[in-house]
Amino acid sequence: MASSANSNPVPKLYKNVIDDVINEVRELFLDEGVDEQVLLELKTLWENKLLQSKAVEGFHTDEQKALQAAQQQQQQVQQVQQVQQVTQPAQSQQVILPPQQQQAPQQQVIVQESKLIHMGGTGMSAAATAATLALPTAVTQYQQLLTSQGQILQLVRGPNGAQYIIQPQQQILLQQQMQPGGVQAPVIQQVMQAAAMAPQPSQAATAQVQQVQQAPGATAPQASAQPQAQQQQQAQPQGQQPPMMLQVDGTGETSSEEDEDEEEYDEDDDEEKDKDGAEDGQVEEEPLNSGDDVSDEEDQELFETDNVVVCQYDKIHRSKNKWKFHLKDGIMNLNGRDYVFSKAIGDAEW
Amino acid sequence: MAYQLYRNTTLGNSLQESLDELIQTQQITPQLALQVLLQFDKAINTALANRVRNRVNFRGSLNTYRFCDNVWTFVLNDVEFREVTELVKVDKVKIVACDGKSDSSCSAADVLLCFCASALFFF
Repeated sequence: MASSANSNPVPKLYKNVIDDVINEVRELFLDEGVDEQVLLELKTLWENKLLQSKAVEGFHTDEQKALQAAQQQQQQVQQVQQVQQVTQPAQSQQVILPPQQQQAPQQQVIVQESKLIHMGGTGMSAAATAATLALPTAVTQYQQLLTSQGQILQLVRGPNGAQYIIQPQQQILLQQQMQPGGVQAPVIQQVMQAAAMAPQPSQAATAQVQQVQQAPGATAPQASAQPQAQQQQQAQPQGQQPPMMLQVDGTGETSSEEDEDEEEYDEDDDEEKDKDGAEDGQVEEEPLNSGDDVSDEEDQELFETDNVVVCQYDKIHRSKNKWKFHLKDGIMNLNGRDYVFSKAIGDAEW
Repeated sequence: MAYQLYRNTTLGNSLQESLDELIQTQQITPQLALQVLLQFDKAINTALANRVRNRVNFRGSLNTYRFCDNVWTFVLNDVEFREVTELVKVDKVKIVACDGKSDSSCSAADVLLCFCASALFFF
């Protein structure tokens, strides 16, 4: 954006204020006997919220810069891993292909999008597995923890520095984008979950999120095709999936029809299906929205924000219905973005 | 005492939220949080006065105005904010302005009151 060319003063100003405040209150914290660590946490929280608000452009903390560098590296690594996984012998049914690199909106949506389950082959073929599941770009690290019950908890570390443990409770269908020719299991990956749940057609219904589908049988990939899988496929392997996809769940058929309908219907119905048994309604909604809004949010001028200017007035003048405003030292939030001014002069007719 | 006016901004709100989180986890006391906010008021007032040096012009149509407790609240429609570098247009904007001259402390409460009251008053 053009503003960056003229060095938008806002990020610097905010950083200065943050640093000033933190430094000034350090003493207060020590007086109260509060650890320095808490002070740092305050700073981190503060900065993260600013980042999340997207109100400031070019507000980079050091951590964010490091993350961006790491992200790029990760993408390359993940792509390499894709290839590697495909070539693995297919004794295990688990040939997991990482999802396509999604343009995850910033780094924040990670948690929602990454409700993916990577199956480590509980009790099945020993080999294979443990292909790293490629998560959306912004995720820096993740680890898989295999609980004693065979449930896989995914430890995700988002760029915020916060760690999330994602417990897969839904069924997600992993779609392979490349087909390893001659692999026994066709496209669909089955994940065993300790908490067996009926396929939730509405779950994880986003274009970006892959779905792992649970099937009772370990070996034969009896893919119960979830209609959503068909909806959301981005790079569906060509021609191999359809014959194998059986629909086990009952509510599936409606959603494909509604796919043609307006979005709102989808969401409503999806929500209803969610309530049938799923817990994670939010997973579905956010990916749904984020899938649509990624570019929109950036381009769209009018957010829902209340455009607000907080400032001081030097002089307010009125002549009949002509008003003149002389303002100073203001912070503005317009269209979701922050601006500042030392002086502002305005005219308006009432 | 510096104006508490700026607590209801992105910067101020994120600070308050962060402090609230720390209070919830009992890492700091509410008293300490208040001190931090007071310090924030000072810092932001000083920063705005000293570090910022740009001018903005704007034009629009005035929908409502209110002057209460020495706080002006305006709602303008179809406004263009013009800076040297860029132009921003909004359909509606609310301007809240405390007295820039006197030393009267414009508390956040006053400002909020005017925020809310104006909604009742004019709409």
